[in-house]
Amino acid sequence: MGDQSNSPSSSIDSSSSHPALCSTSSIFQTRRDLLSTDLKLGLGLSTSALHGCSSKEREQLSHWPPIKPLLRSTLEEKVHRSHSKTFFVKVYMEGLPIGRKLDLFSHSGYDSLTRTLRRMFRTTIICPDTSRVPPEKAHVLTYEDKEGDWMMVGDVPWELFLRTVKRLKITRADKC
Amino acid sequence: MTYFPEEVVEHIFDFLSSHRDRNIVSTVCKAWYRVERLSRRIVFVGNCYAVRPGRVMARFPGMKCLSVKGKPHFADFNLVPHDWGGFALPWIEAAARGCPGLEELRLKRMVVSDESLELLARSFPNFKALVLVSCEGFTTDGLAAIATHCRGLRELDLQENEVEDHGRQWLSCFPDSCTSLESLNFACLKGEVNAGALERLVARCVNLRSLKLNRAISVESLARMLARTPHLVELGTGSFTVEHRAEAYQRLIHAFRKCKSLKSLSGFWDVAPRCLQSIYSICPNLTVLNLSYAPAIQGADLVKLIRHCFKLQKLWVLDCIRDKGLAVVASTCQELQELRVFPSDIYGTGTAAVTEEGLVAISSGCSKLNSLLYFCHQMTNAALITVAKNCPHFTRFRLCILDPGKPDPDTNQPLDEGFGAIVRSCKDLRRLSLSGLLTDKVFLYIGEYAARLEMLSIAFAGDSDKGMVYVLNGCKNLRKLEIRDSPFGDAALLENVGKYETMRSLWMSSCDVTLGGCKALAAKMPRLNVEVINDRDESDEMEENPSDMHKVEKMYVYRTLAGARNDAPEFVEIL
Repeated sequence: MGDQSNSPSSSIDSSSSHPALCSTSSIFQTRRDLLSTDLKLGLGLSTSALHGCSSKEREQLSHWPPIKPLLRSTLEEKVHRSHSKTFFVKVYMEGLPIGRKLDLFSHSGYDSLTRTLRRMFRTTIICPDTSRVPPEKAHVLTYEDKEGDWMMVGDVPWELFLRTVKRLKITRADKC
Repeated sequence: MTYFPEEVVEHIFDFLSSHRDRNIVSTVCKAWYRVERLSRRIVFVGNCYAVRPGRVMARFPGMKCLSVKGKPHFADFNLVPHDWGGFALPWIEAAARGCPGLEELRLKRMVVSDESLELLARSFPNFKALVLVSCEGFTTDGLAAIATHCRGLRELDLQENEVEDHGRQWLSCFPDSCTSLESLNFACLKGEVNAGALERLVARCVNLRSLKLNRAISVESLARMLARTPHLVELGTGSFTVEHRAEAYQRLIHAFRKCKSLKSLSGFWDVAPRCLQSIYSICPNLTVLNLSYAPAIQGADLVKLIRHCFKLQKLWVLDCIRDKGLAVVASTCQELQELRVFPSDIYGTGTAAVTEEGLVAISSGCSKLNSLLYFCHQMTNAALITVAKNCPHFTRFRLCILDPGKPDPDTNQPLDEGFGAIVRSCKDLRRLSLSGLLTDKVFLYIGEYAARLEMLSIAFAGDSDKGMVYVLNGCKNLRKLEIRDSPFGDAALLENVGKYETMRSLWMSSCDVTLGGCKALAAKMPRLNVEVINDRDESDEMEENPSDMHKVEKMYVYRTLAGARNDAPEFVEIL
């Protein structure tokens, strides 16, 4: 009948290329096996196991397990994060031409970050809501976000900050 | 009854709260039809394409609350292409013309444009409540229109929508004079909001009882808001990360202690385990707890938390809770009615989660359990039989074994007997989702015993057409049937065509139904819309006239009074 290309199972099952030759249950079994394989492959999918599938099939198989998009993206994010162990960003201090690099993932929050920066650059870094008059030598910490704007560090939740920060700059307090 | 004046009949009808009852009385005689239609205030449309919007407005001119549902359920799992349809605009336009007194609108799985939100905002002077669930197509500009123009808005509830972020100013659009909000839920928004504007809004809306924040709201901001809303009943926290200003965390604990009315908690994005301690003071009052967005919390911390929650009626949690954790739930939460256990490991990397043991434990401890959604790695017939015996009151039972087609690991048998026990024991079962290795036998049981079943979801199950036929011939209350990746073909589809007019809809994808079968169905049943949905990349390769033997990838059949719809995209063919 010449419609092998339209039946997903026949393109996987190369030994019986015509749909009419495959019994219903074997087509079904192949689909299930394929989905199980897909599940076992994890993130760094090697395409060899999915060899012979159309991209449509691969897309269809990834609609499993049946969970809603918001939950799926929350879980995927956690997986991506645990796969990437480091997140280095450049840090410059005003007046110094040579910058440093800092791994943000090795810090648990703003406290930890400012402590490390104070050590690295030997200066006082003040937080946005301190009401005290800043001493002469204090600096503030700013960052460039995904949209290219320079913002004060500390206003948004740490996790959100990690998602939007591109690099850091320590500027003099009297400028802000 | 015909001797009673209409006002009396109308008053009697006021006692009918269900749509079904009202639909039935309206068919008794013309007089009752007239009284009923003029007095109906709450209208529910289960399928937006089953009837034309104008017709609904004409029939129910006194309508105050309208609910409309669009895409089929499997759209939640990306099985329905994006621009399939389900547009809200025609409904809002028709309501603006025919029912300007509209007060509440609830839309589920529909495409809602900013244009439609703007029209909504301007057309209904008494508008009070907007609930959008799993919708898409709008941006924060549309929300700005709602905030600006809906004076007296009481409820803005956005659940799991895809909203494009056009900036944070929408929330500032609530005028200073707006003090009527009772419920505000924007948890699904991805972008930032103006925290200051939000805090001021929350402070002046003294009747606010439900507040669900999105991930961009800090713990600090939350603490400030909670201090102004001690009467809050439902709270969705924003981001729950440890703040470097520990003072904010202390303020939060203090604020939680003052919220004596808090019964429902959700959110908890990015929560670190030790932060959970901040809610221990509220736990004894909680009836609803949703921790499904907190993948960083492992079993031990979850258990510590749950030991305080003895009034819990509804629990949504990730499978990190493990079987041991579920055993603690079973012994602590005697009032539990609904449990959802979601998978935390969607790539199958092998971290163990929950099994049949957890479910059996729950069933022995929580005798009031009536609603279950359970993602697990394995299930046994023995466990299901035990669960069926312990919990005969299930109305919703959804089991998802992550490895599709997996048999009972103890006996290597299909799970037919287990699910058979469930349908035999749970006489009030209205919704059922199957998984695991299943033969036609399970459908024989379902057809025979699941008399009250209204919705059935099937994936990777069955051996032959007989399976589907058992269900179609048996379940007399079936309204929605959705099937994917199962070997049911034309013979099953065409066996009982009259059945589809008694149902809302049938979905079949990756089954063995052919184009010829669909055409035959469409020809026999003119009051059904038979939609053949082709995937986009395929439609380019498709020949001009695909043969009738061609298997249909996705098919959606539904009864309708409106005929074929005129807003279908090119990849949807209506036969």
